[in-house]
Amino acid sequence: MYNARMRTHLGLVILCVLSAARVCSSTSAPESPRKFDCRSREKETFSCWWEPGSDGGLPTEYRLFYTQERLREVRECPDYVSAGANSCFFDKKHTSIWAEYTMTVVATNALGNASEEFRITDVMEYVKPDPPVNVTVVVNSSAPSPFLEIRWKSPPDVDVRTGWVTLKYELRVKQNDSKEWKTVDIGSETFFNFYNVYPGLLYMAQVRCKLDHGKWSEWSNTIFAEIPKNHQVEKYFWIFVFVFSLIPLLMGIYILLLKRNVVKQCLLPPVPGPKIKGLNAHLLKSGRSEDVVNALMGNQNFPPVAAWTEQVEDFLLVSDSDEWLLTDSFASEKNKDIFIIPAGLHLGLEIQCRDLSVDLNTWEKTDDSKEEAKSNFLNMEPINLPVEKHEFLNGEEMSIQPLANTSYVDIQQHPTLTDYSRVKEVNDNTILILNEEEIPHGLDAEEVKSEVSVPDDYSRVKEVNSDVVFLEKGDSADGCCKKKEDHYTDWTNQKPIMPLESELSKGFCLKMIASGYVDSGPAFSVK
Amino acid sequence: MAQRRISGGKLFITGEMCTATDGERAVPVNDLLDRASQRSDKMHSLSTLLTQEMDSHFPPYGRMQMPRPADCHTSALQTPNDKEQALQVSESDLMSLARSLLQAWVDPLAVLSTSAITLPHPSKSSISSKIQELQEHSKSLADGLDILSGKMGPSAQAISFLPYTGGTDLGQDRVTILNKFNFLLSCLRRDSHKIDSFLKVLRCRAAKLQPELC
Repeated sequence: MYNARMRTHLGLVILCVLSAARVCSSTSAPESPRKFDCRSREKETFSCWWEPGSDGGLPTEYRLFYTQERLREVRECPDYVSAGANSCFFDKKHTSIWAEYTMTVVATNALGNASEEFRITDVMEYVKPDPPVNVTVVVNSSAPSPFLEIRWKSPPDVDVRTGWVTLKYELRVKQNDSKEWKTVDIGSETFFNFYNVYPGLLYMAQVRCKLDHGKWSEWSNTIFAEIPKNHQVEKYFWIFVFVFSLIPLLMGIYILLLKRNVVKQCLLPPVPGPKIKGLNAHLLKSGRSEDVVNALMGNQNFPPVAAWTEQVEDFLLVSDSDEWLLTDSFASEKNKDIFIIPAGLHLGLEIQCRDLSVDLNTWEKTDDSKEEAKSNFLNMEPINLPVEKHEFLNGEEMSIQPLANTSYVDIQQHPTLTDYSRVKEVNDNTILILNEEEIPHGLDAEEVKSEVSVPDDYSRVKEVNSDVVFLEKGDSADGCCKKKEDHYTDWTNQKPIMPLESELSKGFCLKMIASGYVDSGPAFSVK
Repeated sequence: MAQRRISGGKLFITGEMCTATDGERAVPVNDLLDRASQRSDKMHSLSTLLTQEMDSHFPPYGRMQMPRPADCHTSALQTPNDKEQALQVSESDLMSLARSLLQAWVDPLAVLSTSAITLPHPSKSSISSKIQELQEHSKSLADGLDILSGKMGPSAQAISFLPYTGGTDLGQDRVTILNKFNFLLSCLRRDSHKIDSFLKVLRCRAAKLQPELC
């Protein structure tokens, strides 16, 4: 019995001990706290936090005791709550700047306690203010360039009115899509004008502060601002560019206008047209067919046309048919020679017959109304004349020039007049003009008449050198207007009779022609 | 050790003190205080940078082994330790305190300056130049405060004597030298901050019509 009870008690004791031992192994005295840190926001109060160690599985209580420099007594933390868990808050009454604090944090639980000592040399080492508040950014769009007006306020719990605290700020600005901040040291002011901004971009700004050369606060909230695009500046810019680009354009147009002849020469070079020797395009345009005829037939040695009115007219009846010859009525009345010309003979000659157009009409109408001396018998065949005019000559010497497509023959009388001067020698390349005594083939009868009455004031060309070229078309300008000084005298006749002109010397020669004077200046030389 | 009592009440600078005296060229007190505050601010900034530069490379002591601030040669001077206390001190007393602290550091700065040249520290040239700059600022500030205190009355001109007893030699071995150097710099930082704070309180108090100076 004894042993059984003893054994039971012993077992229970062992059990108790064992259980107690188990309990003891899972719980323990707390570890000492570690990591002590403090912070003062305004140089008037401060808070401290510790990091608790293991609590040993038991509820653990933490207490803070401190001593101050020069204070002998040990005080306990006045406020465990305001700064959060595991903290101690020292209010103004319990805060001493420049004084050393020795903090002792004690962790206590059922099984024991642990403590750790921390030393705060100077509360100022832990000063870190709150960031500035009420940060505002306003875009100022005044001239000459926009800028940001950035304003803020000091942290609310910092007293800046007494001089006890000196706050210094720092500002940073960046573009929304840029990575680099532009930082500015502000000093103690609470505003700043930031000028390095460009229209159309979005900017963000932040401010922070530090107290008495302590630690910097966190950055404030980010404030965004967008610079509006300055359309007026752009408009002025484009107007400016437009005006400036107009100036060279206008100058170019002005220069072009001044030199339009040169430009015309460049852009539209004169197209050389076909040149027929002796043919002047201007003459064709002007429509004086007699000039054209002169031009075309200028090389012919046509004798001058005599005024037919003063001549006794002898008419020849010409026919290419035998029937015509057989009619006695006509043949007997006239003593004329009859020429028969084969119809196939063509001569590319033109006959001018201006003055006789009236007579021509009379012939066509009636045969009877004409006087014998002046009547012309025409072939009954229709008249197909290459030209409208005919010339009827009369004279002793006649040359027959058959007309193309007609059966008429132009009878020319060889020159017998002495009033007309003759060109003794005419080169192929030359056509003398301004010699109104020479009657080219294309002269009208009227003109012939008028020249008959030309007084003797006219001098005569005695000799025309082959080198003398007078307004010849196609030759070089050098050849133009060369004259013999000795052989030319003043002309009083103002009539321009030149069928041919050289384009190059047109102006000069025309001038001479118009005045009727031959320039005997030294510019001309005659070989 | 001189014991200074913090007198209650506030003294104000009379108009007589604010104007020029003895035919000297008149510089307004506000302007003088502003210049003085800027110098003290610069001094505090330099001393803060010095301690950071020292600690960045070689924190010699653990926190518990470092000489306590109570061991600073200026710790005997009783100064206000919070805002309420500082706002209650008279201007003359504040000026006197600032001047006393400034005077107390003339000798130690000389010792620091000579020791910095041969300091076994990689940044000794930078440290040495900063200490020289500190000396110049200290001298200039002392001269300015002399003039200012002359305008503020006799109590402003009283200076408490705070001798430096550390000797010219900081130590023999590298660790001792560096530790002593560190300790002196921390004391200097605290005292320069005090001077700066007192002068700025004075400046704000004198410039009642210019709150932006505070």
